[in-house]
Amino acid sequence: MKRMRTLAGISILALVLAACSSGSSDTAADTAAALDDSNCAAAESFCVGLVTDIGKVDDKSFNQSAHEGAMAAAAEVGGFYKYIETTDTKDYAANMGQFTDKSYDVIVTVGFLMAEATVTAAKANPNTKFIGVDQFQAEEVANLTGLIFPEDQAGYGAGYLAGLMTKTNKIGSVLGLEIAPVQLFAKGFEAGAKAANPKVAVTTVYHPPADNGFGDPVWGAAEAKKQLAQGADIIFGAGGGTGNGALAEIAKAEGAGTAVFCIGVDTDQWFTVPEAQPCLITSAVKGLTEGTTGLVKKAFDGSIAGGNFVGSAGISDYHDFASVVPMDVQDKVAGVVAGLKDGSIKTGVTL
Amino acid sequence: MLDFIKDNRKPVITLGLVTVIAYVFYFLDEIKTTSVLVFGWGYAVPLVLAAMVGIIGERTGVVNIGIEGQMLMSAFASFFGSVITGNIYIGMLIGIAAGLIMGGFLAVAAVKWEMDQIIAGVVINIVAAGLTSFFYAPGKTLPQLVPVVSIPILSDIPLIGPVFFRNGIFALATLFIVLAVNFAIFKTRWGLRSRSVGEYPSAADAAGINVTRVRMMNVTLAGALAGCAGAFLALEAAGTFARGLTAGRGFLALAIMIFGAWNPLGALAAALFFGISTAIASQLQADEVINIPQQFVNLLPFVMTLIVLSVAVGRVRPPAAAGQPYTKEG
Repeated sequence: MKRMRTLAGISILALVLAACSSGSSDTAADTAAALDDSNCAAAESFCVGLVTDIGKVDDKSFNQSAHEGAMAAAAEVGGFYKYIETTDTKDYAANMGQFTDKSYDVIVTVGFLMAEATVTAAKANPNTKFIGVDQFQAEEVANLTGLIFPEDQAGYGAGYLAGLMTKTNKIGSVLGLEIAPVQLFAKGFEAGAKAANPKVAVTTVYHPPADNGFGDPVWGAAEAKKQLAQGADIIFGAGGGTGNGALAEIAKAEGAGTAVFCIGVDTDQWFTVPEAQPCLITSAVKGLTEGTTGLVKKAFDGSIAGGNFVGSAGISDYHDFASVVPMDVQDKVAGVVAGLKDGSIKTGVTL
Repeated sequence: MLDFIKDNRKPVITLGLVTVIAYVFYFLDEIKTTSVLVFGWGYAVPLVLAAMVGIIGERTGVVNIGIEGQMLMSAFASFFGSVITGNIYIGMLIGIAAGLIMGGFLAVAAVKWEMDQIIAGVVINIVAAGLTSFFYAPGKTLPQLVPVVSIPILSDIPLIGPVFFRNGIFALATLFIVLAVNFAIFKTRWGLRSRSVGEYPSAADAAGINVTRVRMMNVTLAGALAGCAGAFLALEAAGTFARGLTAGRGFLALAIMIFGAWNPLGALAAALFFGISTAIASQLQADEVINIPQQFVNLLPFVMTLIVLSVAVGRVRPPAAAGQPYTKEG
């Protein structure tokens, strides 16, 4: 009997730990502004809730960026902020429900995969403003704003740099799942590289369709190793943990930082993936944090509109590679990035 | 030697055929063939090691579905062990020790306490997922790289050398581990006793074998192999730790165990088959040789597994007492 009780104890402990690290109970509050979310329905209080896609707010990638943006905006306007980390795609609706039940003013949902669930929730709760990060809105819902980015422009800038920097005329990309934002990055990368250097060959490989498409660093590392062996000297790692695995592998390769380089994605990965620093010349970034902050503040002053809101995208700082990338290459890339922004250069990417 | 070939005609012919095909491709494109096979073997290593854990367990009568959790825990322990101590070799030992502890937990729960083996395995998976994501700290890097070792002479063989004999420590050890497990199960007294415990425990008991002790020992020691698989994933394959790093490889290993008919060499072949077809899928995507969506190309390993399994079904049989706790009568 005693051992059964011990076993039951261990099982409960396990469940508690699993629950703590996942989903619903793992929440944090910005206590500086408001103390709790009991009176979100009141007009003077402003409550912001954020639901992550599968992943954590410390994922070094898009969940973290959106989380930081929403938190900063809530603090700035004196609102209350709380987040929920999703651990199962089936919980999207339930996690949003935790916020709508308490009449939150703004709900931020992060990630392309949550688009459909967000539309459903927005239609069911017309008085709540929804912000869908990375979610393109095909039809307009009045209280739902999709924060989208011209990923193809960021990819194009990075590809242009890669096309000018490659010595072997072979570059590659190690990607997460084949979904719209990733495809835009990849196609933009290829278009940019070809525009800079018509002789360049671009290898594009997506992770096999699976639940772990963005969380398989082992596969990413193996794929990067294979592309390096086949002569690629610049590799674009775009796909959450999978891409980070590729970056880390390239950083270990022979000639990393002198003959072999890697390019990160979403955020400036110089800071978020320190193990990639030996090879990371730049990252193709989208302004997730500033975009989220801007939209939450627009929701606060009431100027937010339904439909799509296009954020910014580009490439990040060169950091230690500012001395490695030749000055004329830096100038050309800066010109292209500026041209993309003012519309004088088109990426020509379509899905 | 001739007798051996006569007894194992099919495997020998298959091996010969595969080798010839591999060298034909090697002749056509040296770099591509080598790098695809390097990818394939790297993919297969953790699957083979994890399949050994399953084989040793089931051959002794204990079903282990907690391999995924054992590997995850070991990957976590080896990575953070390396980070904290500043030495990857100590980290490797910590990873193997974590595997042993997880193996010991399964042994105590499933053998000593006679708990339902499936539930014990599930508990391991949940505990591992919970602990590793709760205590995970981002932004840590390994203090040094895992050195790549080349075995003299063998590593100079074209194709086979760079694929199998120029690797990190765990990947190199895997081939020898498989051979050793195969020898131990089929040619030693320990193996005979283990198999008898897995097939017909009451008869083994009557013959004077301590069923509980054999099972406890085997399940615990198999945990060390799960430790090797986890340490390989974190230190050699990814060079980092991420939540859910094992990504279902522990479950895939169970399929490979069945695919290999509970036989270590069979599991090696099955894992290589799976690894290489995954590598070929990614290479087909990279080369764009056939203009079909990558989702279909990436189905390749799974479809091939399905076909082979459906052909093999009915011919393989699990150890008779796998999954049944043994209670001594009287």
